[in-house]
Amino acid sequence: MSAAEPIPHPPGAALCAEGLCKRFGGLVAVDGLSLQVRSGEIFGLLGPNGAGKTTAIGMMTGLLRPDAGRTTILGMPVDAGDDGVRSRVGVCPQQIVIWPRLTCMEQLVFMGEAYDVPRGIAARRADELLSALGLQEKRDRLARTLSGGMQRRLSIALALVHEPDVVVLDEPEAGLDPQSRVLVREYVASLARGRGKTILFTTHNMDEAERVTDRVAIVDRGKLLELDTPDALRRRVGGGDTLELALSQDGKILSEESIRGLREALPGAQVDARGLVLRRRAIVEELPAILDLVRRLGLAAGRVQLRESTLEDVFLALTGRSLRE
Amino acid sequence: MRALAVFRKALREQLRELWLLALLLSLAPFFVVLFAVVFGAGGWSYRVVLVDHDEGALLADGRPLRAGADLAGAIAEVKNAAGSKPLRVVPAATHDEARAMLESGKAHALVEIPQGFSKALVAPPPAGASRPQLVYMGDMTSTSYMVAAVLAITAVSGYLEQAAGVRYPVELVEKPLGGSGGRSELDLALPGLFVFAVMLLIFPVAMALAREGESGTLRRLQLSRVTSFDLLAGLSLVQVLVGTAAVLLAYAAAVATGFRSQGPLWAGILVCVVATFSVIGVGLLVACFSRSVTEAFVLGNFPLMLLMFFSGAMIPIPKTPLFTLGSVTVGLWDWLPTSHAVSAMNKILGIGLGAGDCLYELVSLLLLSAAYFAAGVWLFRRRRLCAA
Repeated sequence: MSAAEPIPHPPGAALCAEGLCKRFGGLVAVDGLSLQVRSGEIFGLLGPNGAGKTTAIGMMTGLLRPDAGRTTILGMPVDAGDDGVRSRVGVCPQQIVIWPRLTCMEQLVFMGEAYDVPRGIAARRADELLSALGLQEKRDRLARTLSGGMQRRLSIALALVHEPDVVVLDEPEAGLDPQSRVLVREYVASLARGRGKTILFTTHNMDEAERVTDRVAIVDRGKLLELDTPDALRRRVGGGDTLELALSQDGKILSEESIRGLREALPGAQVDARGLVLRRRAIVEELPAILDLVRRLGLAAGRVQLRESTLEDVFLALTGRSLRE
Repeated sequence: MRALAVFRKALREQLRELWLLALLLSLAPFFVVLFAVVFGAGGWSYRVVLVDHDEGALLADGRPLRAGADLAGAIAEVKNAAGSKPLRVVPAATHDEARAMLESGKAHALVEIPQGFSKALVAPPPAGASRPQLVYMGDMTSTSYMVAAVLAITAVSGYLEQAAGVRYPVELVEKPLGGSGGRSELDLALPGLFVFAVMLLIFPVAMALAREGESGTLRRLQLSRVTSFDLLAGLSLVQVLVGTAAVLLAYAAAVATGFRSQGPLWAGILVCVVATFSVIGVGLLVACFSRSVTEAFVLGNFPLMLLMFFSGAMIPIPKTPLFTLGSVTVGLWDWLPTSHAVSAMNKILGIGLGAGDCLYELVSLLLLSAAYFAAGVWLFRRRRLCAA
């Protein structure tokens, strides 16, 4: 796609990425990623470590130049580095990005001015953000004296001080304690629900994604695997219910032969030396047959857990259980 | 507006980085005081070790003549144009003792008065006969020897003219360039140190930008509407302020130790401000290759050493001529903008010359500073401010 070619931007889409590709040497970090984020929705970008989420975000916000593909935000191309786009997007990077030698207030006002927000208005917004994110008492403290969780919240506030229409948060809950997580989650949700902002965020935290997002995209090895609402993904990919069954063989872990036997008998099941995970609709009806199979293979059933599939089940079903890093 | 915001932010950060600020502001004044202690506020003192073998003689009226001792006194009384006495005479009993002092650096020159010195003055040897030899000795590669020897020879020459009743057919007259006649060595050494105060700015520039890169805040600024111009203008303005403050402090320290400027201070400040932009350019280049503050600090030492030693800021560097362009001789180190700054400062504040007398230095400083700054900005934008 040439730079001069107009980019289609579907109505109702706040962010539209088309065929994004990025390679670092021999590593393909992002491979033809296309997605649309609708105006006013909270969109989660999920994937294991090294899946290409941060690289994708970098390209979508103009920090990284894609090898191929384009992104438009609110109809404006991102790669042109247009000031109009910059003013309407707020980005909170994965790591804590603050100025340690400035106070919370000073850096928020500075960030506002960096987006041409008049000083007085920037100061008012800074105060609001500090209150909303529980940092009001630390208003005049140097950022380097704050705890890690407070610094993370300040880092998020810096992405919001210019009142962007589209907010991109790269793992905003990393390093936060449960109280802070809830605070940030509720504030981010209020931005979309109450003020019509569009939120795109990446996370490893499936619980967070499940609670907050309208839609999620699951990426792995730079490719988009699934994109839908959490409910639809649970039904479609998660199979509705999940059975987790702990198994042993003569009091020990399962042999290779038993694992093979279970995999052949239960297609789609994730089997390892300690048990199996099976996702199916109405799996409770299959449970007697599965327990019978276990007995026939000479295995002993341990703890049985039968529950509705979660987004984590969907995630693991799509990306596997093996460690990536 | 945005550049002003960057300026306010950078100024706050600079003021809160106290150890670096203290280093920047105090190092040049510290060296000023150190120079004053080492050189002495009154000027250099060259040590002349003197071996007097003279046996004396009787004048025609029967009075004794101790010409060796008189000459030693004449050497010690030599005055420079400032009125101070630059030679200190150290007596030695034997040639070997004097030579040992010369070799150990305790003396800059050796003067050995011959046995028949007085006799030769009373009764000069006839033409063709051998004459007693008054010997000078020293390290021919040492500028200190040369200065000491020239001053001692002047004293000897004057003494001989008077004692022997000889009148030279021409009078030797020394005229100082500009106000250099009344200058002490300290006066001439200090203007270079004012430029040194500015050279130290390599560190805050490189470290500030390396820190922005290391902490990710540079990326944050890239995503905002802050342009490269805003960022670098705001940062440069802070460094110009810090540099000016450092120069003023160094100047105050110099005045306190006896320095007397021959030119207007504002002209010196102007030269330093222009030089600051070249130093900022170098700082930007260092920042381009530094992934952390520590790297910036370590890497920054290399250009600092280069600028410090080869521009003559700390010690005088002989101008090694490369080629001549019209009336201008271009030297080996003329590609360093600070060389021209030091030279201009020496001419303006050191010997009181006007802008017309240092046109080459001023134009070169201006052009080189612009080139260094532009190179730094260009490379920094390419390496640090463009999307990867």
